[in-house]
Amino acid sequence: MNAIILSALGGIVMMFTGIFTQNKIVIKNIAIITLLLLLIGNLLHFYGIYMLHVDVKDMLQFNNFGLFFNTIAFTSTLIYFLLSGTDITKVGINVAEYFALIFFVLCGVSILTSFHNLLMLFLGIEILSIPLYILTGADKKNLKSNEAALKYFLMGSFSTGILLMGIALLYGASGNFSIESVPSTTSKVAEMANSSILTPLGLLFVFVALLFKVSAAPFHFWVPDVYDGAPSVFTSFMATIAKAVGFIAFIFLFESRIAELGPSSRIIIPFVIILTLLIGNITAVFQQSVKRMLAYSSIAQAGFMLFVLYSNNDISSEGILLYSVAYSFATIGIFAILIKMKDYTFEGYNGLAKKEPLIAAANTIFLLSLAGIPLTAGFFAKYYMLLSAIKANGQNALWLVIVAVLFAAVSVYYYFRVIQAMYFKEGNPEIATTNTSFKVILLALAAIIIFIGLFPTVVLNFLYF
Amino acid sequence: MEIMKTLLAFIVLWPLVGFLVNGLGRNYFSKKRIAFYASEQIFASFIASIIVFILIKNNGAQGDITYFNFIHIGKLIIPFAFKIDQLSAIFLLIITGIGFLIHVYSAAYMQQEEQAHYGRYFSYLNLFIFSMLLLVLGANYVIMFIGWEGVGLCSYLLIGFWFKNDNYNYAAKKAFIMNRIGDLGFLLAIFWMIAKLGTANYSDVFSNVSQLSTTDITAITILLFIGAMGKSAQIPLYTWLPDAMAGPTPVSALIHAATMVTAGIYMVARSNVLYSLSEVAQNLVAITGLVTALFAATIAIKQNDIKKVLAYSTVSQLGYMFLGLGVGAYTGAVFHVMTHAFFKALLFLGAGSVIHAMHHEQDIRKMGGLKKYLPITHITFLIGCIAISGIPPFSGFFSKDEILAAAYAHNPVYWGIGVATAGLTAFYMFRLYATTFLGSFRGTPEQAHHLHESPSAMTIPLIILAILSVVGGLVGVPESLGGHHALHQFLSPVLLTEVKYETTHSTEYMLMGLSVAIAATAIVIAIVTYSKKPQISNSTGVGKLLENKWYIDELYDAIIVKPLGSLASFLKNVIEKSGIDAAVNGVGKLVNYSSRQLRLLQNGQVGGYILLMVLGMIVIVLIWVNDGYIYRFLMNLFFAK
Repeated sequence: MNAIILSALGGIVMMFTGIFTQNKIVIKNIAIITLLLLLIGNLLHFYGIYMLHVDVKDMLQFNNFGLFFNTIAFTSTLIYFLLSGTDITKVGINVAEYFALIFFVLCGVSILTSFHNLLMLFLGIEILSIPLYILTGADKKNLKSNEAALKYFLMGSFSTGILLMGIALLYGASGNFSIESVPSTTSKVAEMANSSILTPLGLLFVFVALLFKVSAAPFHFWVPDVYDGAPSVFTSFMATIAKAVGFIAFIFLFESRIAELGPSSRIIIPFVIILTLLIGNITAVFQQSVKRMLAYSSIAQAGFMLFVLYSNNDISSEGILLYSVAYSFATIGIFAILIKMKDYTFEGYNGLAKKEPLIAAANTIFLLSLAGIPLTAGFFAKYYMLLSAIKANGQNALWLVIVAVLFAAVSVYYYFRVIQAMYFKEGNPEIATTNTSFKVILLALAAIIIFIGLFPTVVLNFLYF
Repeated sequence: MEIMKTLLAFIVLWPLVGFLVNGLGRNYFSKKRIAFYASEQIFASFIASIIVFILIKNNGAQGDITYFNFIHIGKLIIPFAFKIDQLSAIFLLIITGIGFLIHVYSAAYMQQEEQAHYGRYFSYLNLFIFSMLLLVLGANYVIMFIGWEGVGLCSYLLIGFWFKNDNYNYAAKKAFIMNRIGDLGFLLAIFWMIAKLGTANYSDVFSNVSQLSTTDITAITILLFIGAMGKSAQIPLYTWLPDAMAGPTPVSALIHAATMVTAGIYMVARSNVLYSLSEVAQNLVAITGLVTALFAATIAIKQNDIKKVLAYSTVSQLGYMFLGLGVGAYTGAVFHVMTHAFFKALLFLGAGSVIHAMHHEQDIRKMGGLKKYLPITHITFLIGCIAISGIPPFSGFFSKDEILAAAYAHNPVYWGIGVATAGLTAFYMFRLYATTFLGSFRGTPEQAHHLHESPSAMTIPLIILAILSVVGGLVGVPESLGGHHALHQFLSPVLLTEVKYETTHSTEYMLMGLSVAIAATAIVIAIVTYSKKPQISNSTGVGKLLENKWYIDELYDAIIVKPLGSLASFLKNVIEKSGIDAAVNGVGKLVNYSSRQLRLLQNGQVGGYILLMVLGMIVIVLIWVNDGYIYRFLMNLFFAK
């Protein structure tokens, strides 16, 4: 509850800040402080300290899992503010509003980590999405940014329609909005229709809508265009925090109800996983722009995270948290560097290691983590996801794991292209000047990734404390 | 027990510390300090070894001394443990004692090296001693294998010590590769033991030997022997040893005469329980040893490089030792290891002294008459020659006699070939002696001018080794000559007693007399032939065949190296290029191609995207409508029960 209230309040505070000051540094610092308060408020929830007691009538339920994901999301956002905060202030003139919108996104995140009702799911997704549409178009004078925002909005609305249709069907089947399966015969609609078809069809529609949000194939088409067109600093935010929460929503909704999709779910989910891995990885290979490559790589990473639906056990729930951390941290770091680059193509990175050895080294660690090379967090993230599939009950998953590993091998190609450009090619990359604190935070982030890569259980132990 | 544990740890660790200190500090320490430190470490180990020896002699051997668990996987436990008994105690003394003398000798011999290389040399020597100690002290085959590989490595490093000479590098590689072939056999034997018995500890293997079938024992012993063939330079893996003479001469004395090459003998002697149970393996060992002894002796007759003669002589003597092992005379073999270590180290160091005086000239055709220039070297070298020829009461006589007596009891043909070889040995050794020290000097006047006796750091080890070569045999005087064979009694708890043969004393006298007479005749012929008119020109006929070592290197080259080379180039040019490379590049091209095609889906049209998404949804719904039909179909297809 703390997180929802505080993040909404934080958004309002930031909007008012814009009225009183135009000083970008002040605004940025207020945002950081507000975010810290939000983080603390969320931590207090673990100890049962609430700001307000609101009777939510079981529409929201809080558990350690969701709260822990909140912590991950807020920490990632904090790192994101620290690394790229200055760049946020450079996108346009309404600086305070960008921060306000980000806080509203976090409010949506907090709802999605605690919803226990389909209405709340809908609200959470909309609160999350609408600020993102606006952020995508934040660079008003840039045609690409505007185009991306419009595309995002159009396709987002389409998926919302599907979501609402699914919720309506579920309501029709049971007569209420609870996410738990309540077999009900009281619903007149259910009596009229063949009730056996309403629930699974409704779930299938919600399933598709969520696939859209997490950018799984074949509902990924918005991703490359939107990520490419949006201002880079907001792409970073979109691709990490706003995306990972989709998987949490998935878990809450489908943890107990996946079976209701019927036996065909056993073929639908691997189908989606393989298609996502295929399109994400293969298409990324030919990209010339690092930013667009990262968009496709984020699709590919979603393919791995989708294993949480496939295995649906304890290991996968832990794995998705680890994956969120590994993926978010590394992506935020890579984007923070990308924003500083003048040329977004692979050639733009040529010779970076000579000019900025520290930044190149940190970038290498982030890329290695995304590729899932051992000693980085990304390795254990992938490991846990694949392990969960192997351990999943009654599923012969080895072939799926082999396919996933093969695609991970493909991903090494495009991640290492960046490393190759930085270290083994001659060039004079144009990179904006960076101050010491940027480099320190970047290296600290890289160190955290390696630390998690060495002691992954440290992160997971949080879940049980 | 605790004392023993500490002592042994120190014996092994001192050389290791010496290796680390000299290896890391080679650029900072003076030569004097390097030589002193390295020798002093080995001396300390030597003193400790003497104490260990006395403890063993008085109290007898005890069980394994375990330090920690080296490998612990499932049920397999391989402890890092030492076994100290009569056999390893004798080897300890030989290794550290002769090792120390050679360290002292090296300090003078290597004086002209640069400081850094000097340090490198001594650190390698210390590392070698460390590995050799591990080899003989290990209480299981795995620890022995660690030492086995360690000495192989040091041998490689020291043969190629003057790495700027490419030929020396080839010699080093040859030694390493030949040894690796043998090591494979050793490794397989260890795996076989672990697979069948679940342990590689000597005590466990030997006490559970009844669980092994005859096939197992034969296979294990033959595989072990293949390892020994490589390390101890037996046919067919002997050709590396003569080439190994590329290393500095003290190295040849230490590694390629006295210690490392006897590791194979140690291993077979250590496994005597296994070998006694396999007739096949014993015969293989005996015949291999016998053939090698004769074969190498014939080659040695026609070699003109002073070190090469000694190298072939070493191969030949190692053959003798294997003959002893094969006919069950384990004590005799170990006895011969000991005496051979004395006189062969002496001969090599003497040769080193000659080479030192001749400014790195090794061709005996350019020597002659060195008797008056190098008096100490001459006398000690002569003692070595007499000892190796088996003239009583020098040490070689007793050990060789013991092996020959056992061979006679086993099969008189073995004895006949053995005695013939002994005659050849006496002949080529005195050919070497006569050509080098007798007659007149045939080198350049420049060389003659610089001829000088070596410094005392070199002559003192010579003198000590000469004394040992004279009296060393007295520990094993057979009963027939009024002795009571102290060595035999000392080793009896470890090595099986040879009860297989019984020869009367009169037969023994006859055998001894015959072999001594043959050796003496050979000596006389050699001295008479070569002291006045040494052979300078190249030989023809059989002589040429011998001079070229029976063309064995060329034969190996033709039947093994060349076919392997062409197979490799076939694999490289055909299989790799058009097979593996093509497949790898093909996958890359396929990915790139599909990437280009898939990219086209992303055309930027929202309408198109929505259409594709709806199509995707329809596909999913269709799959769902089938209600698992496709799933069951696929499952039946791929995982049909």
